[in-house]
Amino acid sequence: MLELRAISKTFNQKNILQNISFKIKTGETICLLGASGSGKSTILKMIAGLEIPDRGQILFNSIDLSSTPPHLRDFGLVFQDFNLFPHLNVFDNIAFGLRMKNMESKGLPFDLRVGKLLEQVGLVGFEHRKVNDLSGGEQQRIALARALAPQPRLLMFDEPLGALDKSLKDDLLNQIKNILHKENIPAIYVTHDAEEAFAIADRILILHDGVIIRDDTPQKFGIIQNMLKLQKF
Amino acid sequence: MKLLTFFETKKTINLSANKRMLLWLPAFLFLLIFFFYPLSKILNLTFDISTLTNENNLRITLHALRFTFYQATLSTLLTFMLGIPSAILFSKYNFFGKSFLRAITAVPFMLPTVVVAAAFNSLLGPRGLIPLLSSFLFSHSPLSTFHFPQLLITNYQFTGTLTAILLAHVFYNTTIVIRIVGNALSQLDSRLVSSARVLGANSFNVWRYITLPLLKPALFASALLVFMFNFTSFGVILLLGGTNFSTLEVEIYIRALQLPNLNLAAMLSIIQLFFTLIFSILYTKTINQINTQTNPQFSTARPPKTTKEKIFATSFIILLSSFFFLPIISLPIRSLTRLEADRAQRDQIQYGFTTDYYQELFINRRNSIFYVPPMQATINSLSYAGITVLFSLALGYPVAVALAKPTHLEKFLDPLLLLPLGSSAVMLGLGFILSFGRLISSPLFVPIAHTLIALPFVVRTLQPAIKSIPNKLRQTASTLGASPFKVWQTIDFPILSRATLTAATFAFTISLGEFGATLLINRPEYPTIPIAISKFLSQPGGLNYGQAMAMATLLMLLTTASIFVN
Repeated sequence: MLELRAISKTFNQKNILQNISFKIKTGETICLLGASGSGKSTILKMIAGLEIPDRGQILFNSIDLSSTPPHLRDFGLVFQDFNLFPHLNVFDNIAFGLRMKNMESKGLPFDLRVGKLLEQVGLVGFEHRKVNDLSGGEQQRIALARALAPQPRLLMFDEPLGALDKSLKDDLLNQIKNILHKENIPAIYVTHDAEEAFAIADRILILHDGVIIRDDTPQKFGIIQNMLKLQKF
Repeated sequence: MKLLTFFETKKTINLSANKRMLLWLPAFLFLLIFFFYPLSKILNLTFDISTLTNENNLRITLHALRFTFYQATLSTLLTFMLGIPSAILFSKYNFFGKSFLRAITAVPFMLPTVVVAAAFNSLLGPRGLIPLLSSFLFSHSPLSTFHFPQLLITNYQFTGTLTAILLAHVFYNTTIVIRIVGNALSQLDSRLVSSARVLGANSFNVWRYITLPLLKPALFASALLVFMFNFTSFGVILLLGGTNFSTLEVEIYIRALQLPNLNLAAMLSIIQLFFTLIFSILYTKTINQINTQTNPQFSTARPPKTTKEKIFATSFIILLSSFFFLPIISLPIRSLTRLEADRAQRDQIQYGFTTDYYQELFINRRNSIFYVPPMQATINSLSYAGITVLFSLALGYPVAVALAKPTHLEKFLDPLLLLPLGSSAVMLGLGFILSFGRLISSPLFVPIAHTLIALPFVVRTLQPAIKSIPNKLRQTASTLGASPFKVWQTIDFPILSRATLTAATFAFTISLGEFGATLLINRPEYPTIPIAISKFLSQPGGLNYGQAMAMATLLMLLTTASIFVN
């Protein structure tokens, strides 16, 4: 499905990413686990088309995406700081992607889709609320609903729970896991929190100084190794 | 592979640089043609050896320079005499109607110079409310048998005096002192005063050794700004003082249009530019020190308690209310009141309410095809203001986008945008005359000149708003399927609509009230409201005076309305 082939990126003569390659299958959730500055977010931005790799290729269903602008890639991206549009209410935030892709004319009524997503994230009745009046957890749920709304081919999360407290984190993590499982969307989850990574991922890629140093299923990381990684990050 | 990377990187940088160049290009070309080219013409004339060695030129320059400094210093001192106690009043005390009074003191700053001149004229001018009402009351009182009071009224003169200029300058600029010094006062760390008190300082010593040194940057900054505005004042001096009071700015106008000596006008412009640049640099350096000297505090304002405090507060509330409210309110009153004889009715003076002055604005009484009815001036002004808004937004928006994340080069280019603001409006007009000759008969040059003045305000308003939009919002919209245009349409534009409206209001009101540049380049067949007011004020007769008051009231309402819309 999605394939990264030997991606490299340099900023100010410093190698941010070196020779990054991996694949994701349909319905699979992979987690990029690494410390701050290890290049995790840069990978997501390159997949989204917001950054251009210096070398290498990004392919989706074997099609090279280098000439596809971000708005035509059909990928969703959820940021740590939510980035809800402050001038739009909850409904319009969620419906934004549907409007951009003119989904109504394709037989997907906005209100039905938005209603269904609000139900999925547990915020029914929030349609007309201002986004700035919502709590952090509610804002992140709306951000998730907004990313899911246009039915993206791939969903990416950039430290989505970093700004939330522990109890809220566990709750939302379960919600994301359930939704991803239900929607069967391939997803890339970026975090520096090993606990989050082991809780959500089908596969974990550990990124260190711009290089993938390990790519395995959580089960294959032994308990001791898990503990070591937890300490490291 | 290394070589390929080098080229790819280079390509990316070039693309970004090209985009940035495109953002700057329209404004840069605009400034090049309409500011730097005229400036080069002025410089060329100035540094002509015959200009610099002409004794007459030097005599006039020295005289204008001396009077400019004299009136600016006097006006600044008087502004401080009213401004400092007012700043103390607003920062230290709470009283009923405080916000309203504070707002009233700020109103003059937003009004066009012709409106302020007309407002003072309507209150204290020879046909103003106070002299005419005094005369009326006197003639109907037992005192009318005595000659002395009658003599006082007959010899009364306001327009054409230095007092009129000084009063209008104080009216205009007191708000600057109230804002800058008042804010600094209210942000003074009260613990410093307490510490000084504990260490044995009495009230005077606290003021002398603690408060005053800490306020020094604010005092200096406000003094510089007030002085700079007085130094470059034009409309107030010309309309209330007349051409006898030759400041640099008035002398440029006289030498450009009335007693043509373009070389001298050019030299005076460069001298004026030199001084305003020095004042601007000093002001920028001083204003930056204010924040480092004070510490933001919660407001410590309280109601006046002691008798001394109560007397101080009450007397200044009365003084400020009358000084700021009376001229503003007398203008509409005078535009609706007949206080003198009508045309050909010199013996029979009629008093009372009238709408004649407004009705006259629509009438071509001279039945001349060359006469432009005053109402046409309103339409012209609104059209010019509309075009100025379009021009300044179209040129300013791309520059504001570039300046939201400026490169080193753009940081260097940024102050160039402010240069037209530093140069006087009359100088801009002179530059147009020298550069474009007969072309300036096109009415389009008026909004072009207004755009030069409005552009820095527009860029300064839009830039922080654009900078405040997190790039991630655009990226998110992009990943949700928004094309670059849709990102601008759905994210940038709605978020920036408030700032855009503010910028448009700035441009609109600047254009509506602009007097200096317009006076030099305006064609008689396309007058603006300020030009029409100045013409009416300079012509004899009650009807002309009344029409000046009516037009000034309209301009005041238009300006106030556009500010309130925002």
